[in-house]
Amino acid sequence: MRILYIDTSSSFLYTGIVEESNLLCEVKKEYNHELSKYALPEIVEMFESNNIDPKSIDKIIVVNGPGSFTGIRIGITIAKTYAWSLNIPITTITSLEAMMLSSNSNKYYVPLIDARRDYVFGAIYSDKKEQILKPKHIKIEDLKQKLEDIDDYIVITNDDIDLGEKESYDPDILTIVEYFKDKESINPHAVNPDYLKLTEAEESKLND
Amino acid sequence: MKDTYILGIESSCDETSVSIVKNGKEEIATVISSQIDIHKDFGGVVPEIASRNHVKNITLVLEECLSKANMTMDNIDAIAITYGPGLIGSLLIGLEAAKTLAFIHNKPLIPVHHIAGHIYANSLVKELTFPLLAVVVSGGHTELIEMRDHYKFNKLGGTLDDAVGECYDKVARVINLEYPGGPKLDKLAHIGKPTYKLPVPLKDDSYNFSFSGLKSAVINLAHNEEQRGNELNKENLAASFQKVAVKSIINKVKKAVIDKNIKTVIVAGGVAANGGLREEMEKLSRELGFNLSIPPMKYCTDNGTMIAAAGYYAYKSGRTADYYLNSVSSEKLN
Repeated sequence: MRILYIDTSSSFLYTGIVEESNLLCEVKKEYNHELSKYALPEIVEMFESNNIDPKSIDKIIVVNGPGSFTGIRIGITIAKTYAWSLNIPITTITSLEAMMLSSNSNKYYVPLIDARRDYVFGAIYSDKKEQILKPKHIKIEDLKQKLEDIDDYIVITNDDIDLGEKESYDPDILTIVEYFKDKESINPHAVNPDYLKLTEAEESKLND
Repeated sequence: MKDTYILGIESSCDETSVSIVKNGKEEIATVISSQIDIHKDFGGVVPEIASRNHVKNITLVLEECLSKANMTMDNIDAIAITYGPGLIGSLLIGLEAAKTLAFIHNKPLIPVHHIAGHIYANSLVKELTFPLLAVVVSGGHTELIEMRDHYKFNKLGGTLDDAVGECYDKVARVINLEYPGGPKLDKLAHIGKPTYKLPVPLKDDSYNFSFSGLKSAVINLAHNEEQRGNELNKENLAASFQKVAVKSIINKVKKAVIDKNIKTVIVAGGVAANGGLREEMEKLSRELGFNLSIPPMKYCTDNGTMIAAAGYYAYKSGRTADYYLNSVSSEKLN
């Protein structure tokens, strides 16, 4: 089974193809504000340089957030169009799960993404990779409180966030795909970003 | 000659639309998913909300269009996509879908400028004849474009500030009409009399327009009447505004037709539905003796049909894009 992995939820394109527990190829590249231009041609280049037919993909795993709103939409649109048009299974995972799975630590995992204005997107997973705090748009102060009860944890982030011991995130695409390869697939039309946050217009309407 | 089927995708503002057009003139199937009811609550299009809805809709609209046409991607010769101008976050959704389809089905990708789409909406009704003047009037555009052949665009002028449709919507808000107020303002104008004095903007020798001064004049007028304790006659204000707005367009069209010896004038874009503009354009066409073409309403608003139609002529003139095609919020038509 050939699985295509796509994550564009940050300023990076993370993509790869996994077949029978082998990583056939991968691309990890940063694009500042030009992800919309480069994401698809990079994926095309990955297929072509490895002589892989796009129609030979059996399943797609795509990251549906949290992270950059525009970024998430790029990956989701490519993935859902691909899966719908070729009628192949597709499933979504969160960027925070991908971050947790890429760490080699044996502590509690706290993957974090800067959400500005003293907020982060974050989650807490146990050393057994069980979800302790589900992915959330949370105030840093509130997260700090939740972390007080946890003895030993590691923060995984590529952003400037100081909440204790931390390591940077470099996705282990093979591990991520292997972990989720049997996750139930969903209808491509229903594959959508999970922003974890309303738009500002909606928020100010709620506060009216 | 073999028939050419173009799949057109449009997502530049708040409509997700996909259409299949045969040979640039025959509409096979069109699907439009409009978000107008969503944005109404906010008094205008909210870009982030528009993008979020495009992602939700894109594959549904693609599927419905293909199934309506009883076709698969195998029957499609090329994919035409609006790459700009428009809301960048909205444009991107159509663009990524188009690039993905072009890749996995190995089809040519044709970049279409949104304004070219509005112009070629006319070719769905009648073949374009040259020399031609396109009067593009919508919520985002007010432009005069001269064409001497297919896919050869020469912009004579455009708005220096607000688009005419934008100005209509803003003036409509002054008299408390619900968004989008432009069409409602047009209706009121037909009931009222142009009793209020408003200045005709930019009475100069250029082919340009300006609507922000007119908008301010209406706001000031409403404000002054209120201060004096006079009740504003909405119908008359609508009629006064419409008279001046239409006149400023007609003046420049007239100048362009005479200067450039134009034989055909086409009106395109959402404001082409405006009753006042239609009447005055018809009067002018009789006065100067040019052919006038105004497409039916369904082709005036944003839709994939016009993108597929323009895409056909772009394709025939050898315009294709590679996968590095990006969306642009503003770009000159060329």
